[in-house]
Amino acid sequence: MMSLKQKLARLKGHMPTHSPVGEPEREATDIPYLDKWRDWNAEPFFFDGDYCFIREVVYPLDARHGMYRLGDLHDVHNKWQRSSLSHPLSSAGHDTSDLFFFDTETTGLGSGAGNTIFLLGHARVYEDRVVVRQHFLPHPGAEVALYQSFLSEVDYTTLVTYNGKAFDWPVVKTRHTLIRDHVPKLPAFGHFDLYHAARRIWRYRLESLRLAQVEKNILGVERTEDVPGFLAPMLYFDFLSTKHPDSIAGVLRHNEMDVLSLIALYIHLSKQILQAQAIEHASEQLEMARWFDAVGEADEAKKVYGKVAESDAKEAAKAKWNLSMIYKKEKKHDEAIALWQELLARGNDGWSVKAAIELAKVYEHHYKQPERAYEYAQIAYHEWKELVRTHRTNESPHEFLRRLERLERKIKK
Amino acid sequence: MLSKRKTLQEIVEEWKKNEHVVYWHTVPEREAKVVPYPESLHPKLRESLEKRGISALYTHQKDAYEAVEAGKNIVAVTPTASGKTLCYNLPVLQTILHNPDARALYLFPTKALAQDQKSALNEIIAEIEATIYCDTYDGDTSPVIRQKVRKAGNIVITNPDMLHSGILPHHTKWVSLFENLRFVVIDELHTYRGVFGSHVANVIRRLKRICRFYGSEPQFICTSATIANPKELAETLTGKEAVLIDRNGAPAGKKHFVFYNPPVVNPVLHIRKSAVLEAKSIASELLKHRIQTIVFAKSRVRVELLLSYLQQLVKHELGSRSIRAYRGGYLPSERRAIEKGLRSGEIYGVVSTNALELGVDIGQLQACVITGYPGTIASTWQQAGRAGRRQEESVVVMVASSSPLDQYIIQHPSYFLERNPETARLNPNNLIILVDHVKCAAFELPFRRGETFDGVDVEEVLEFLTEERVLYRRGEKWYWMSDSFPAHGISLRSASQENVVIIDISQTGAHRVIGEMDRFSAMTLLHEEAIYLHQGIQYQVETLDWEEKKAYVREVDVDYFTDANLAVELKVLEEDRKRETSAAEIGFGDVMVLAKATIFKKLKLETHENIGSGPIHLPEEELHTNAAWISIKREWLPHWNDARLEQGLIGIAHVLQSVAPLFLMCDPSDLHVVAQVKSVHNEQPTIFFYDRYPGGIGLSDALYQVMGQVLAEAKQMIERCPCESGCPSCVGTDAWSTHAKSDAKRLLHMLK
Repeated sequence: MMSLKQKLARLKGHMPTHSPVGEPEREATDIPYLDKWRDWNAEPFFFDGDYCFIREVVYPLDARHGMYRLGDLHDVHNKWQRSSLSHPLSSAGHDTSDLFFFDTETTGLGSGAGNTIFLLGHARVYEDRVVVRQHFLPHPGAEVALYQSFLSEVDYTTLVTYNGKAFDWPVVKTRHTLIRDHVPKLPAFGHFDLYHAARRIWRYRLESLRLAQVEKNILGVERTEDVPGFLAPMLYFDFLSTKHPDSIAGVLRHNEMDVLSLIALYIHLSKQILQAQAIEHASEQLEMARWFDAVGEADEAKKVYGKVAESDAKEAAKAKWNLSMIYKKEKKHDEAIALWQELLARGNDGWSVKAAIELAKVYEHHYKQPERAYEYAQIAYHEWKELVRTHRTNESPHEFLRRLERLERKIKK
Repeated sequence: MLSKRKTLQEIVEEWKKNEHVVYWHTVPEREAKVVPYPESLHPKLRESLEKRGISALYTHQKDAYEAVEAGKNIVAVTPTASGKTLCYNLPVLQTILHNPDARALYLFPTKALAQDQKSALNEIIAEIEATIYCDTYDGDTSPVIRQKVRKAGNIVITNPDMLHSGILPHHTKWVSLFENLRFVVIDELHTYRGVFGSHVANVIRRLKRICRFYGSEPQFICTSATIANPKELAETLTGKEAVLIDRNGAPAGKKHFVFYNPPVVNPVLHIRKSAVLEAKSIASELLKHRIQTIVFAKSRVRVELLLSYLQQLVKHELGSRSIRAYRGGYLPSERRAIEKGLRSGEIYGVVSTNALELGVDIGQLQACVITGYPGTIASTWQQAGRAGRRQEESVVVMVASSSPLDQYIIQHPSYFLERNPETARLNPNNLIILVDHVKCAAFELPFRRGETFDGVDVEEVLEFLTEERVLYRRGEKWYWMSDSFPAHGISLRSASQENVVIIDISQTGAHRVIGEMDRFSAMTLLHEEAIYLHQGIQYQVETLDWEEKKAYVREVDVDYFTDANLAVELKVLEEDRKRETSAAEIGFGDVMVLAKATIFKKLKLETHENIGSGPIHLPEEELHTNAAWISIKREWLPHWNDARLEQGLIGIAHVLQSVAPLFLMCDPSDLHVVAQVKSVHNEQPTIFFYDRYPGGIGLSDALYQVMGQVLAEAKQMIERCPCESGCPSCVGTDAWSTHAKSDAKRLLHMLK
């Protein structure tokens, strides 16, 4: 008879197994390489018979991260306090040090119960310094200590993450559920997710919206000798077998850079929002205006759309159109008509058709001048036919003809 | 006006005179056995039952209610249309009415069944005007509904696959379900056998483990079609003692069971007219007279063939859309549309593989045509149960093919009518399956030293996984330590873990996925140049990307279909058990099988005549599994040359391939038979039986025990066959030698 072990060896080919993990660890009462950890500013945190590490790194306010000083956060924070804008990224009503720049490193993807967080990192900006703190899981059994340390020291009200809504926080919740009898309750949760902001503003400009890309292209952050994030699980498994902090140092450093980048990114986004009229990049400025439009800041939206509309960027037409729609909603017909005339005058494109239709509508329904409306309806129809000829779309002329017929009837009356 | 439309009774009377009907069995009507409602039944439930015109319960429904009330796990065995759903819905709703926090999990083998059950349950819930939230949770559920079901679903209806990969690995999102889980309902229990059943038993082990973590211990309520061992199956699958409920009290209409043997067309070779063609004429007779009919065929190819024949026939009278195919490879939306059409009566006929064997509510069908014996008694009764659900007269016609098994059954109806249905087997401790699920379980929660996997000691498995660097042991616990998501790589349904996706490229720029198929079947059905049939439409496979597991097909219109050959090599790795008779040696152990698709033939649609062939270029597939074998001592046959011996062995193998599944209640494709003139391990002429799943699922193990009986049955089958020197019904056509039949008999005689 084959032993179970032999059988397992034989059947191995049928059982795909994955990824490396360390040797089973010998029981040790003392902490391996504690002096090395201390060299890395890390101290053990003991709880309930186990421990995790807390690593702390302090930066002065003048430390630069890419194009910003970390201390610039105080400036934008003050501006937010004075601004009357109501915006999802506004820090008004909080203290600077309430902002809690947060990122995790995990052993896998998704929020399944087997995906473990091994590193919880956060940065806060105080009056006189910036403090990065990292809570590190030295082995899988120590999660109670890890979350005890994390949840008891952080009295935060506002979390700033990059895609934390979809990833980091659900994983934290999963881990917490597994050990909820042993650790403090998970705090209620406020959230600035900068990923959503980045996607809104840069989705056309950047090829990828990964934090590394945003850092490089927007924030001017150059990372040297950085460990790519996708290697983190493997390096952690490696650490579990060696226990030496050197094997995980790269990941700690990577996470530290990530949370600092979150500060810089928040500074940058806040500046863009607070001085939207001065944004250089037309596509960014347009997206910013649309953001104001979407959150109900119509006045600010109008100003920013106006800037784009005045420019000679290709986004100007779209800005004019969006601006005209705000005027239309506000029943400022003259302002809207002026914009539509401009769009029409630009020559044959999708905007000219839309503008002519709007002109026909406003003269028909508001000014009750069916003849004038008929003229624009005809222009719209011709512009459209011209477009269809060049672009060969399958749209039906039905709407145009119906409008023309209706206006003819009105004129005859 | 065309010819007068006949009633079912008129057609039945005509058939009674048909010379090819070899046996006629009538199942008489059965009166209902009812008992008053139980005292404790909630007044709201009682009221709603009365509103539906139900004034009492059938005996089995009340038995189930009382056993569950007493805290027992149960398995209720009920034929189709016997009101089995009340066996679980009554106790579950009763409990939730008394405790609104209580939760129940319903498992159905398919999404279609889950949908049905949801509508039925919600009707009852609306009637009793209770706030009970009941919904399905599967791959089709939208994210918003998912969240709601997780938080507040009193009754969560799902399938084992979803439980395996969508619920258990995310148990932290289901806290309130697992904390309050009172019942697990497993419907269609008999479908959980073989590989699938072995997987599901392990999923249940994981479910129980998660429940314990959250402090609940649910009761199991199972329902099953008639099989020999429902109690044993329920207990193996759930790992709990179960009470058998089998006092069936439901009424049934009169049912005619017709055994039809197609005429012999070649008396010398003893070849009968094709069962598919005969089934076609029988079904078209029924359909012409607008009798709703279901036709079962054994393979996908046959389903598609029958469909195209029948659609042609009724094109003018009913319209070809009135007849549809229904089978496993279709996408969910297609299947839903068919089920709806059947219920509303827009569809008259359905051609199906065994997908419809399960109790999908398809309304009233009056007739059922079974093309070829389905392989098991239980499965035959399940298919026959699709006709006559509403307690009126119905007819079932079983058309025999030329295969040995079919001919045996059709000539010995008593075997079928009197014998107990088969035993359902599963082997939850198949090492590969067990290891897969220990991985999933470790992902869900760390294992603690001394902890068993529902009674199974898995410490060695945990150590193995630690060596493989999937788990990490620290102190007394094993932790998941890998960046993969184990449930995604493990499919409960098929032996191979990756399916081949079938992509229609007929329209440039509008490629679409039309189905999928397991890897092993794909070797012989989706090789390049194969004709693949889908909803009666022929496609030719243009490219099979074996690496990426994609088959690109294009619509064609040809008058042939393809049939591929699979060459199999087998080596014994380890002999675990052995016993000897005077002339033979019977063994059991571990083997390695190498399978390779070699060539395919093009066969003309109507005549099945060979009109061409071609090679198949696909890599060999390797399989480590269990096998049972029987070797003949070569020295007993000094005057036989190898060629003669080979012919004899091929003949025996052909018969055994049919007989062995009879004894094992397995799909004939789960157990393969291979003959070797000189086997590598003992240099003797040998016939092997191997499990078609890595590691084996207990089939060849069971066969080793009953080898003598199986051989005796095979011998009888050959002896009883009226042909002279071998035919498709006994030794098959691959044994072409004129001595093949007599040699096979002599060999079997020696082996006894």
